[in-house]
Amino acid sequence: MNVQFTLAIRYLSGRKLRTVLTTLAIVFGVLVIFGMNTMLPAFMRAFQSNVLAAAGQVDATITLKTSDAFDANVAGNVAAVTGVRAVSGFLNRTINVPPGYFDGDSATAGTVTALSLVGINVAQATILHAYPIKEGRFLESGDSAAAVISKSLAEAIGVRLGETFTLPAAGGETVLTVVGILPARALPGNEEVLVTLPQAQTMLAMPGKINTIEANYDTLDKTRRAEIERAILGTLGDTYQVGSLASNSELLANMYIAQAIFSLLGVLALLMGGFIIFNTFRTVVAERRRDIGMLRALGANRTTITGLILSEGLVQGLVGTATGLVSGYLLGAGLISLLSPIMMQFLNAKLGSPVISLSLVIGSIVMGVGVTILAGLLPAMSASRVTPLDALRPPVGTISFKRLAGLGFWSGAAMIALAVVALITRNVGLIGLGGVLFILGLILMAPALVNPIANLFAALAAAIFARGGTAQLAEGNLSRQPTRAAITASTTLIGMAILVMAASMMSSIQIGFGRVMRKSLGSDYLLIPPSVSVWGTNVGASPKLAEELRAVNGVAAVSTLRFAPTQINGVAVSLLGIDPASYSQVSGLTFSAGTEATAYAALGEGRNIIFNPVLAASAGVKAGDEITLIAPTGQQAYRVVAIAGDFINAKIATGYISHANIEADFNRSEDVFLQINLAPQADTQATESALKGVLKAYPQFRLIAGQEYMEEALRLFNAAFAGMIVLVIFLAVPSLIAMVNTLAIGVIERTREIGMLRAVGATRRQVRTIIVTEAIILAAIGTAFGVLSGLYLGYMGVETIRAAGFPMEYVFPAAGVLLAVVAGILFGVLAAVIPARQAARLVIVQALRYE
Amino acid sequence: MSLVQTENLTKVYGKGDTAVTALDHVNLTVNPGEFVAVMGPSGCGKSTLLHLIGGLDRATEGRVLLGGHDLSRLDDVKLTELRRRQIGFVFQFYNLIPVLDAVENVALPLVLDGVKQNTARAKATAWLQKMGLGDRLANRPDHLSGGQQQRVAIARALVAEPALVLADEPTGNLDTRAGDEIASLLRQIADDWGRAILMVTHDPRIAAYADRIIFLKDGRVVDETRLSGNGTDETKRVMAKMEAI
Ligand SMILES: Nc1ncnc2c1ncn2[C@@H]1O[C@H](COP(=O)(O)OP(=O)(O)O)[C@@H](O)[C@H]1O
Ligand SMILES: [Mg+2]
Repeated sequence: MNVQFTLAIRYLSGRKLRTVLTTLAIVFGVLVIFGMNTMLPAFMRAFQSNVLAAAGQVDATITLKTSDAFDANVAGNVAAVTGVRAVSGFLNRTINVPPGYFDGDSATAGTVTALSLVGINVAQATILHAYPIKEGRFLESGDSAAAVISKSLAEAIGVRLGETFTLPAAGGETVLTVVGILPARALPGNEEVLVTLPQAQTMLAMPGKINTIEANYDTLDKTRRAEIERAILGTLGDTYQVGSLASNSELLANMYIAQAIFSLLGVLALLMGGFIIFNTFRTVVAERRRDIGMLRALGANRTTITGLILSEGLVQGLVGTATGLVSGYLLGAGLISLLSPIMMQFLNAKLGSPVISLSLVIGSIVMGVGVTILAGLLPAMSASRVTPLDALRPPVGTISFKRLAGLGFWSGAAMIALAVVALITRNVGLIGLGGVLFILGLILMAPALVNPIANLFAALAAAIFARGGTAQLAEGNLSRQPTRAAITASTTLIGMAILVMAASMMSSIQIGFGRVMRKSLGSDYLLIPPSVSVWGTNVGASPKLAEELRAVNGVAAVSTLRFAPTQINGVAVSLLGIDPASYSQVSGLTFSAGTEATAYAALGEGRNIIFNPVLAASAGVKAGDEITLIAPTGQQAYRVVAIAGDFINAKIATGYISHANIEADFNRSEDVFLQINLAPQADTQATESALKGVLKAYPQFRLIAGQEYMEEALRLFNAAFAGMIVLVIFLAVPSLIAMVNTLAIGVIERTREIGMLRAVGATRRQVRTIIVTEAIILAAIGTAFGVLSGLYLGYMGVETIRAAGFPMEYVFPAAGVLLAVVAGILFGVLAAVIPARQAARLVIVQALRYE
Repeated sequence: MSLVQTENLTKVYGKGDTAVTALDHVNLTVNPGEFVAVMGPSGCGKSTLLHLIGGLDRATEGRVLLGGHDLSRLDDVKLTELRRRQIGFVFQFYNLIPVLDAVENVALPLVLDGVKQNTARAKATAWLQKMGLGDRLANRPDHLSGGQQQRVAIARALVAEPALVLADEPTGNLDTRAGDEIASLLRQIADDWGRAILMVTHDPRIAAYADRIIFLKDGRVVDETRLSGNGTDETKRVMAKMEAI
């Protein structure tokens, strides 16, 4: 073995605690990279399925051109095509039921005249779709004569959980027991009766057959998707057809953004791992200056020294990477299995197992060992510049009162300025870049800010502890080496930033998203047309329906939306008519320019229009502008009085005008969406059944309680983001532990100084206080900056989601910030406890001889 | 020909107002096999002189000739090689590598020079035995007394068979008895193995072991005296000279 390796291994085994701590840094780095990436695909898939499922869609639907049934084995052939992630075979048939079939009254037309019997392969379908069971359970593979139906269907046909109902079938009527109830159906199309595939095959007398295969792909890349589609058709032959998600669909666009966020987290993981390792090596070199100088004096050349540090890096890199891989896998798998039942319970969607590809393993090893060596390179080079004289000078700490506002400070400031500019542009890509710039900028500025901040905190600590001088000493230790202090603090910074970012996003999603939705859909009841937000395809109702509803006892207000398509500056716009007087009582727009009071009033007087934000942005229009609408009655000039949007139309270029104007200029008086509020003392039960009575004549509308609809939407949204939050926390925890690590190393490094302090008369207690104070100051600096960056990142995240078209408000995460501050201080103290005890117990003479 | 020769050797630390002239046109020689002590008050430039002669630092003016080679003309690589083969160092704080045992520490200069492990260890062991540490071969520095550590450091300085040994306050950290042992060991090294030794000390008793004493003050050579070898008398004489300075 050459001399570098001998020395490397001796140093490593000579300082066991230190070696364990530094190797731990590498373990964390690899753990984050590897664990995160094993989970990413699983979460990405779950997210993809959730988003698709929430929209009732899959990537591809494969049928025979003739719509005939085919052999169930064909699904296996599709599954075998590379790029197809999951498939599921279905057998579905529309079943027309005679009038009065369910309510036994043939005189009135029942509300249900047709429904779809859907036979599903339970194991496969739950991978593609989310089935959020509200009551009872979902189908199990062995079930027979069991059905799962929606709440709205259950109410329409008058059955409850555990009760039975009959359906006409090929071999006579079949009795089915309701084992589970899904939320009210908010999607277009017939109500569905879900049964197991064998059950459907029996009922329809089609053993071994299916007529639809649904498939999800493993990529969002457009050209890849087209290739996969061609490959499927190539396998099946041209009697089949593939219906795919339109490549320009909004849904795909949302998923692209989600994927970008996931990738950003992956990159963050990598940066963090590298940073932790780099940090550690810097400390190692600083600590060993004298040894290195001695080696140089004895005739070791620079290459030998560089080699020595790198050898150490290599040994630690290998051990750390191996440990990191194993623990990363365990953690990833553990988290997934922990989350799986939750996802299963709430969404009946499978999370899938952690994905380990050979390339990921190789990649992680290359990263782990590579990053370690790379991170060790700079310190190794700085070690090679240690002169022999460094070994011989009396060992006083180097004092560097460098010029504070150096190049680093100003380039950091410039980066932060750029990040703020990026935020103003509201461009998603730029904002993402801005986030990275912001953190880098803060890290660069940190050394210059350490002194004033350390002073401030030391004054605070002195006031609190009043232990004459110890706080000042701790402060002095930090100010003396601002760069090292800054680096230690920045580990905390990153952990805290991630924590606060997660908190911002969570609270904005839960509160901001909910707030916008509540304002828009907070009415007691919604009358949902077959297709929400794609208004053009709906058959509406004449104003008579609204009149009848208002006449119902207990109804306080009814507000309706009317629809007309139009164009503004060549952009297709969906125009909605609202009643300025009643709309704000039942529903409401969220304003970004203009005020509620004046805007609604203006709609009632003359040709005035409210633009939603998407339209305002795409047409490049601000409040006060004049615009021209293309109407059947010719071109009409309107004035934009406000920018405001509602929840359902948030992603569509939409303008709001009054009912009177939409009737005068566009000849539309049909209501396509209705919202109802009840009087405060109304008897809910009686009113609801009276409303249902009225609606029998309008089967195109479904009555849903507003609360229920919102809860459902919020839950799907939360579920879609749950994975992301978990990943974020996965990042934050190791970085906090890394902070404990860095602080501990910092104390080991100063053993000699601590011995000096004891020699000149510091008590054990004072030494302990100094170290704890120092740790707290560092933690406080890291936390302060971390919270700041976290707030930026969180705002950025919310803006990104908003730019993707989800209407939500940014909510300041007060609880999250509080949590971060408490966690920061706690970790600081925790980080100091062990080293402080060690330092206090030092035998003075030994400490002084330590070298 | 002398082994070491300095010509107007000058070292100035810093610039302008804060400049400190640590060495001021120093001319001296050390002959092969000669044991020379350098004495002078603290801060007079003793260590600086040693560093320049050892090629650890570069002179501001003047030059050092070692075996006829001008050190100022050597680049870092050549200088490193020269240190490895021609010069042995002994310091006040021993400066052993804490994670290596005695044999490994002593073998280090050879190993760094590319000598085979076995050969290097054998030579190191031999030197340690000569230093009376045959029973301490596998001990790490923290299991050795100060005197023992310094003897390991001396073995390390000699293992590459250098012509010159530079020792900066080698007894500064030791008690009287251990100090005497080290000083007589250095004497033996000059006598038995013919190495030249340049030793810095401010202890007249230790300086009395040398063949010759050079007195420094404020960076200049102010006096020089040759000793006869009669311990106690010489010590008194040296003490008197020191007082004078
Ligand atoms: N790296 C340095 N930078 C500035 N001044 C130095 C440095 N090293 C030594 N000196 C100064 O040079 C003078 C001689 O120092 P030194 O050779 O260490 O003295 P001695 O070893 O005799 O005590 C002293 O005044 C000392 O302060
Ligand atoms: Mg000195």
